[in-house]
Amino acid sequence: MYRSLLIQLRVIFALVLREARSRHGRSRLGYAWTIVEPTALILFLTLMFSQFRQTTGPGGSFAMFFATGILPFQMFRNMAQYGSHAIIANQPLFNYPLVKPIDALIARAVLEFCTALVVMAVVLGFQILALGAPMPYSPSRLLLVLGLLAALGFGTAICLAHSQKVFASTNNVFAIIMGPAFFVSGVFFSLQSVPETFRKYLVWNPLLHAIEGFRWAFFPEYRNPDLDLVYLFGWGFGLIFIGLLAYRLMRKTET
Amino acid sequence: MIELENLTKIYRMRGGWDNIVMQNVNLTLPARNIAILGRNGSGKSTLLRMISGTEDPTSGRVRRHRSISWPIGFRGSFHRELSGLENVRFVARVYGQNTEDVIEYVKDFSELGKFFLEPVKTYSSGMGARLAFGLSMAINFQVYLIDELLSVGDARFQEKCKDTFHDKMSASKIIMVSHSMQNLREYCDCAVLINAGKVWFCDDLETGIAKYEDLNKSAAGA
Repeated sequence: MYRSLLIQLRVIFALVLREARSRHGRSRLGYAWTIVEPTALILFLTLMFSQFRQTTGPGGSFAMFFATGILPFQMFRNMAQYGSHAIIANQPLFNYPLVKPIDALIARAVLEFCTALVVMAVVLGFQILALGAPMPYSPSRLLLVLGLLAALGFGTAICLAHSQKVFASTNNVFAIIMGPAFFVSGVFFSLQSVPETFRKYLVWNPLLHAIEGFRWAFFPEYRNPDLDLVYLFGWGFGLIFIGLLAYRLMRKTET
Repeated sequence: MIELENLTKIYRMRGGWDNIVMQNVNLTLPARNIAILGRNGSGKSTLLRMISGTEDPTSGRVRRHRSISWPIGFRGSFHRELSGLENVRFVARVYGQNTEDVIEYVKDFSELGKFFLEPVKTYSSGMGARLAFGLSMAINFQVYLIDELLSVGDARFQEKCKDTFHDKMSASKIIMVSHSMQNLREYCDCAVLINAGKVWFCDDLETGIAKYEDLNKSAAGA
């Protein structure tokens, strides 16, 4: 038991190293894009909103508010979207009995999560150190929300990867969903500012709770009576459970 | 010794039907050199993959008491986008080997030269086979699973493979799928015969080959 866990960790480690090399192409500059992309988006939103809105909202600046929306959003999107291709992309490696498809899914989740953490540290760290933005209000809340967000991203990736085997257009559909998801997940508004009529629909979106939770951890004055981390937990671990079940069942009858 | 317990493999096919490859197979494979015989599509490679563990049975289980290789085939189990070196390094890491030693051995054995640093997709099938064979010989297993490997490559390379392989066989056993009876006779002394979802063990290779040829005849006559 202990030995097989050790082997699995070794395999996941080897997969993370191999994925890290090919994730952003061959160039070493590839990883710079993971910083450039959210930064450009934060700059764009900040410039746009500062033109016609006076109050900056929680965090003291637009840049901080958008960063705390965009960064967790992209963490989820990358974990789910890139993670869901883990099985197809590593197919030849499953010819080694020690390498199981689930290891490839875990490896991509680990890599995407760690990359997103570094991006968060760089982008938020820059604002804290250079622009005088406040430090995160509660690091323990932040850890909790990041954990739940990671579970949601990983669970979505496993489910998508298996759904893809049955419905070939799964990834196209998911890509289409992720477009509007940007607008209904609280990336550039706080739930509190949404009228009740819309709010009661928005709260069904688990990703919204992750982003609201992220700001709840970051800003002491952030008010959000509708935040429900148990609901987020249910989605994350529910998806992981369903995904693992599909993994078990489908491996019995496929090549 | 490898035990197959109630081993069943059923593929769910696209058309909605079930392809029953084998059903309730109970068999103990001794620590000998075993040929796997069967007509095209009878499930030889599937059995090999289940023995190795790359494929899960639909029900039942495989008990392995010895270290078993991955199925070593001429197609190789390489990632086409990665270089030969990167593939080798990955496998060495997975199997907990000294990465540099394995790389050095495979580089030397496979004689790929500059191609060792190029993506595997640029390799000819012979080059792929050389890399596959070199890599599998770099790691010690008690049982090697061979899927049609030894029949590929030029004559000189085949000689080299044979020499290396005969050295290995003093300490290890092989389980081999091949359509070449000549290859099987050279390496194996007993056989497993697969046909229509059933699997038999033949204590003697020639008996197995005779039965296999009977199957082929009756199929041709039908």
